[in-house]
Amino acid sequence: MNRQTLALALAGSLASALATAAYAAPLAPEKMVGMEKCYGISLKGQNDCAAGAGTTCAGTSTMDYQGNAWKAVPAGTCTTMDVGGHKGMLEPTAM
Amino acid sequence: MNTGTQSGEALPARAGLGLKPEHIDEIIATEPDVGFFEVHAENYMGDGGAPHRALTAITSRYPLSLHGVGLSIGAERPLDKAHLARLKALVERYRPQSFSEHLAWSTHESGFLNDLLPLPYTKATLERVSAHVDAVQQTVGARMLLENPSTYILFEDSVIDEIDFLEAIAENTGCGLLLDVNNVMVSAVNHRLDAFAYIDRFPVERVGEIHLAGYDETVDGAGDRLLIDAHNSTVADDVFALYRHTLGRTGPVPTLIEWDNDVPAFPVLLAEATHANQMLDAAPHWRDVRVARRA
Amino acid sequence: MDQNAFASALLDPTLPVPGGVTSARGEADAARFAVYRNNVAVSLSKALGQRFPVVQRLVGDDFFAGMARAYIATTLPDSPLMFAYGDTFPDFVAGFAPAAALPYLADTARLEAQWTRAYHAADIAPLTVEALAGLAPELLGGARLAPHPAAALVRSAYSVGMIWQAHQGDEVGAQTVMTPESVMITRPEFDVRVHVIAEADAVFAAALLRGESIGEAATAAFGTDPTFDFGRAIVGLTSLGAFAGLAS
Repeated sequence: MNRQTLALALAGSLASALATAAYAAPLAPEKMVGMEKCYGISLKGQNDCAAGAGTTCAGTSTMDYQGNAWKAVPAGTCTTMDVGGHKGMLEPTAM
Repeated sequence: MNTGTQSGEALPARAGLGLKPEHIDEIIATEPDVGFFEVHAENYMGDGGAPHRALTAITSRYPLSLHGVGLSIGAERPLDKAHLARLKALVERYRPQSFSEHLAWSTHESGFLNDLLPLPYTKATLERVSAHVDAVQQTVGARMLLENPSTYILFEDSVIDEIDFLEAIAENTGCGLLLDVNNVMVSAVNHRLDAFAYIDRFPVERVGEIHLAGYDETVDGAGDRLLIDAHNSTVADDVFALYRHTLGRTGPVPTLIEWDNDVPAFPVLLAEATHANQMLDAAPHWRDVRVARRA
Repeated sequence: MDQNAFASALLDPTLPVPGGVTSARGEADAARFAVYRNNVAVSLSKALGQRFPVVQRLVGDDFFAGMARAYIATTLPDSPLMFAYGDTFPDFVAGFAPAAALPYLADTARLEAQWTRAYHAADIAPLTVEALAGLAPELLGGARLAPHPAAALVRSAYSVGMIWQAHQGDEVGAQTVMTPESVMITRPEFDVRVHVIAEADAVFAAALLRGESIGEAATAAFGTDPTFDFGRAIVGLTSLGAFAGLAS
């Protein structure tokens, strides 16, 4: 495709996308909100509340600084994930 | 300088609560009767998004106490200029009624350790901390409150009493003090001191805010009681008793209930605030500014 | 007391309690110093768990704690902003030998890292479809779009979007995770949006986010898939909030 053909193709494609019912102008903000649902697969996350890590100024009595010896225990949901015919079992690994 | 930061107002002498993300919707919807909310400054140092939207909504309804946990005021290294600039921006944006930090350090050359670490009380550390508090107040443009620490160890180098150390910093810099009553109990038990005697000697005229929290209990290598400043439970009865004793000297002071780990449903926090408010209501309306000196 | 020596002993439990530390009994006590070791290890590990909850559920709490401990030993936070800790955790996970049987784990971590970044990104109104429609047709191919500060694309050989989605609920069923997926993360207002997009659209989006012109990006996408629907892709990405505006 040369540059001019590409420009025409892009403009035409954009125009037809904009002309479809979902994207019909004028584009009010409330319509914009719905439009993204028509595109891709929308994944629904949990509430944003527990969003990332916060700081602390408190101490803890939990003990978790020892244990340099590595023990790989497949205890999570990875055991239900199928990676090409085998489950993602974690084998104990010497470290 | 005013007790408050740039607004010139102070926090009300009532119970306040730490603002937790999981409670924000409920707080905005129900507008509970809480004296003020306190946030850790660092959690609101992102560029934008929901945290700032929430804090804006809260500060339009309640007084705000901005409590830093990452400035590392006791560090040997210079203060982090980028962090100071972030603090200044936050103070200018939200105009908190109070701004406080800890007598502790948490950064060293390889990075930030995310804990409030202790320092020995010497002439050198006194000069350094005073210089850092000065720099913070100059840069941020607000008077700060410095909080007494909870500690688990002592230093052979320490030659200045903790209260004298805090008072000297306040004297040198004009900063106020945040009296954490739970920290007093934790440190007193951990170092075989009398918590009530500590309160009796504390320079109450400099106290701008009180903190209360729950502690955990364990033992050290010799089987001695070791209290951990865990902020994961209700305020212990002996800490409430020490608080009542404190209020007898300070009169009503803005009082925060800190609960940072295993955060419960909001009504549990409100019940703690109610308990503190009952004690505040019963407190004398004067301050006992006599400071008993050691012999 | 030398704070660097104190910090080194905090981070390495095989080192003795640093000199100068004592107790009311007049002697150093390892259990007391251990409180500080715990506070550092637990608070940093917890911070990683809060930023990477799906990774934590995938491998289980014990494995995650060990992996976090290994990461903390290589990388401490470079600022007190805990929500920014772990930017390099996905790369660490990719090279973490005990997790080699879970090839999708690092990309899952990338998705989670970008989610938090988007959550805290600057509040900037994204380019609107209306503004895009107002662009003169002859200028379209040469135009460049400025990425929105929250926008990020995670491209994976595995079904990381589906893995992430499955872990938002309490029950996680059996899944085949061999399908490549590209996940577009945006935050047009306050809620973070997570969308799986088609492969050609991902090629297109990646090129635009790198700063290539619309024409260059479209050419790359057509190269991947001759049936690439340019109009649908650029309108779709714009409506997700991927762009801040036209680049000057």
